Amino acid sequence: MNKALIDYKNVYYPPGGILLWIIIFLELITFGAALIAMVVYGKQEPEIFHESRLLLNVTFGTINTVFLLTSGFFMAVTVHELKENKKQKAQNYLLLTMLFGMLFLVLKTVEYNAKLNAGLDIGYNSFFTFYWMLTLFHVIHVIVGLVILTSVYFGIKKENSTTKFEDVEASAAFWHMCDLIWLLLFPVIYLIF
Amino acid sequence: MVLTVIAGLVSSTSLTYLVPLILILAVLKFIGVAFNFMEMKKAHVFWKILLISYLVVFCGIVLLVL
Repeated sequence: MNKALIDYKNVYYPPGGILLWIIIFLELITFGAALIAMVVYGKQEPEIFHESRLLLNVTFGTINTVFLLTSGFFMAVTVHELKENKKQKAQNYLLLTMLFGMLFLVLKTVEYNAKLNAGLDIGYNSFFTFYWMLTLFHVIHVIVGLVILTSVYFGIKKENSTTKFEDVEASAAFWHMCDLIWLLLFPVIYLIF
Repeated sequence: MVLTVIAGLVSSTSLTYLVPLILILAVLKFIGVAFNFMEMKKAHVFWKILLISYLVVFCGIVLLVL
């Protein structure tokens, strides 16, 4: 793997690349604004938001947070192993990263199924409109992240891999972004109302 | 992981400063992921300040509204 030495202290070269970090901040601002809008609506309809929040499964949300944090940990280890030129170990840790990402999606599917069976769809009330919009957009990001990681996995698996280390770091940064967004979504949607 | 479990358990109580406590736990996890997993510890101070500023603004607005 082609690994040039990157000076992370250079303001134009943060870990993962400046383009990814611009994207990360735009996503954080977008999700942040939506979450603040949810909080504003919650202030206007406190009983509805509180009663609706009680219909969510905090245990599922907590487990999903653990899944994403574990996945993020393995992603960080993957990058570390690649820096040490331990390609096989990096591949294995990347598989673990993707496994925990998929576990998140499985549990999310179970949760969505339960909500739909209970009639708690996107039009049920304003709380659930926010719930579905925010978590679905997040799920889309997780799916895109898994596609990217799959591409990275097959890229580094090749015998004469042309995958650049910067690309792996950028992919890792995108994956961690999904984690960062969830770390804001979970407390606001599941805990504070 | 511990912070996540604590947040989940604490949310079912009726502590006075419940919302700030939950947000503090979220901020700690956020910083942990950004600075350790994303290696922002090694980045230029500009990016660190930008991340912390985002968290301060976000949490500040949430607490102001609530």
